[in-house]
Amino acid sequence: MKKDCIAMLLAGGQGSRLYALTQQAAKPSVPFGGKYRIIDFPLSNCANSGIDTVGVLTQYRPLQLNSYIGSGQPWDLDVADGGVYILPPYLGANEQGSWFSGTANAIYQNIGFIDQYEPENVLILSGDHIYKMNYADMLSEHLLHDAACTIAVLQVSLEEATRFGIMNLRADGYVGEFEEKPKHPKSDLASMGIYIFNWKKLRAALIEDEADPNSSKDFGKNIIPKMLAAGEKLWPYRFHGYWRDVGTITSLWDANMDMLSTTLINLYDPEWPISSRSPVCPPHYTGEKAEVVHSIVTEGCEIDGHVENSVLSPSVKVGKGATVLYSVLMPGAVVEDGAVVEYAIVGENTVVKAGAHVGAAPDGTDAWGVATCGPDIVIRPGAKVPAGAMIYKSEEV
Amino acid sequence: MLDFHGIIFAYRTTPALGELVSKRTAASLPFCGRYRLIDFALSSLANAGIRDVGVIMQRDYQSLLDHIGSGKAWDMSRKNGGLRILPPFGLPEYHTGNYTGTMEALNAVSEYVRDIPQEHIVLLLGDLAANIDLTPVLQQHLRSGLPITAICGDHTPEGPHHRYIVDDNGLVKQALFFREGDSEGLPALEGYVIEKEILLEMMDNCYAQNLYRFHRDAIAQYLADGGLMGTYVHRGYAQVIRTVEAYYRANKDMLIPEKRRELFPAGRPVRTRAQEGVSTYYGEKAVSRNSLVADNCIIEGELTNCIVFSGVRVEEGARLENCILMRGCTVEEGVRMCNVIADKDCRFSAGTMLIGSERLPTVVPKGKEI
Repeated sequence: MKKDCIAMLLAGGQGSRLYALTQQAAKPSVPFGGKYRIIDFPLSNCANSGIDTVGVLTQYRPLQLNSYIGSGQPWDLDVADGGVYILPPYLGANEQGSWFSGTANAIYQNIGFIDQYEPENVLILSGDHIYKMNYADMLSEHLLHDAACTIAVLQVSLEEATRFGIMNLRADGYVGEFEEKPKHPKSDLASMGIYIFNWKKLRAALIEDEADPNSSKDFGKNIIPKMLAAGEKLWPYRFHGYWRDVGTITSLWDANMDMLSTTLINLYDPEWPISSRSPVCPPHYTGEKAEVVHSIVTEGCEIDGHVENSVLSPSVKVGKGATVLYSVLMPGAVVEDGAVVEYAIVGENTVVKAGAHVGAAPDGTDAWGVATCGPDIVIRPGAKVPAGAMIYKSEEV
Repeated sequence: MLDFHGIIFAYRTTPALGELVSKRTAASLPFCGRYRLIDFALSSLANAGIRDVGVIMQRDYQSLLDHIGSGKAWDMSRKNGGLRILPPFGLPEYHTGNYTGTMEALNAVSEYVRDIPQEHIVLLLGDLAANIDLTPVLQQHLRSGLPITAICGDHTPEGPHHRYIVDDNGLVKQALFFREGDSEGLPALEGYVIEKEILLEMMDNCYAQNLYRFHRDAIAQYLADGGLMGTYVHRGYAQVIRTVEAYYRANKDMLIPEKRRELFPAGRPVRTRAQEGVSTYYGEKAVSRNSLVADNCIIEGELTNCIVFSGVRVEEGARLENCILMRGCTVEEGVRMCNVIADKDCRFSAGTMLIGSERLPTVVPKGKEI
């Protein structure tokens, strides 16, 4: 059936800068903000924007992501005509198949999927950003300005601009130039990696780019500059609001801490719910001696210790006399009696045994960092995990 | 266990529940911060693999319908069979006013019972807070070859209940109806596994004789006629909720970790309707001791021994002790409350003071502003 706009979500990235947290699973399935996983944000945005067909491109360790997405029911994406589809790389008969070699190549390999829906437009999303955006609003600007491509942009400071793809605009408001991580930025409009393309034009550009042996098959580096050079109309869609890239340990921890404020991103808004798949657990329990201050806590948690400035995911346990400060505890994490976890990220089902100490408060030095324990690890009784440490599953601590 | 069919009795609106059941039946009473009582019967059936389930209701069932919907939360939304909602639809001359008893309720939906394709039926109460592992019950029932197996508890519940005196093999020798306190025999949880043909016979007999009650009429007659009945003892928490006091006490029981684990064991999850939710936020001055708090709440005041449902807001300086706050309540700053059950969407304005007694908590009806 013909669709106005379908979404393609790039979820294949390894997320190598999250180290132990993505050792077993792809970045979009990393738990975030207590109840969520990173991919809940783009999926919920799609559902809330009325986009009911989403292709999720996976390749790196997709099992957890596949079972998490399932039929798409938590996001109301289990619709009869459309829905959410997992799209791994595949082989055709007598074809030399391959992994996705770039963001553009990932879409190129799925031209057949997109063609089934004969969409007018295709929305390209990435699976590692935390934000709430109405894509329908972006689509209407895209149509209003008759653009071949509309790029969501965010105003950043000029210092930050050196880390982003920067749009320089023409006098008529269209994009005149795109610079990837410029040393001397001429504008402060950063690309958020969210694009709406006219499908006919994108389809042609993908086929052309695929034939170019010098191309790195990337939207930012190849497709956008080529479209600009060809004289296509590219429109910037200005986004105002909370947006964070959570590709590094520090940014992931920072963004989690942001969830303690309702003014940065309001997750309580019934008009724009962020949905997630979570098992039903009883309400959380705080014991006789528990202290929970300036923190978010969710179902299944049992707290008997002291929790402050922290984000607790479902079924986390904090034992008697334990202390959790400025930390992110992922689903099923256990902090046993008398243990201390501070300025740390503790992965799913990891157990911090009695008396162990994970992380340390900032000491003002450059060497300091958030301590991270990957999933399914046991931190031995009395062990000490220093600030900035990265503990992998294979390691014994 | 596709050889079994479930029937849940969810029609009861016991007067002793007062305001709590003014717009709902006992089976749809909110419980333990996020559940409804009927979740226990539905989950017990679902966890034993029973997918075809009828829910008998009679009146005030809007809230129950909203809650169970198509049965999706219990995997009972099926192409064939699945969940059936059973409001009264038969026998107008027999059925007048409220159902007088379970046999009348069954006869009011007799067409449904007759059409059940399975040979065995599991009967459960919708207002019983118990997580019953039905798999061994069903296995025992099949192995014994007995027409009826009664599910009993391992401790005497509060209030009137039926008891069965059994022999060494667990066969019922004598039934004692409407007992209070400890005595001989096993306390019945009013859950049964029964052959469909036997149930239909009981229904026809009761209909012919204008009898209404399951225990005093149908079971008594069955036993008097020499019918055999086995028993199975469910070990763990079990409490029928028929009074405000029982409701209050059962909720507060859930603050005791051992009892909570009996009702919510790791292997047999209690499923309920999915709610859109965010985490609960605790403010800088929040205090929460020995309390259960659901998602979507903002807690800035003090809670002690409380059960707090989704979407509740407790402002700074408010102090609540031994309270149950249902969904959407707002407690403004400086409010002091003790032994209060606040139904959904109540608002307590700044400075309010409300103290109930521990034995008889104060019930604030739905939507009230104080």
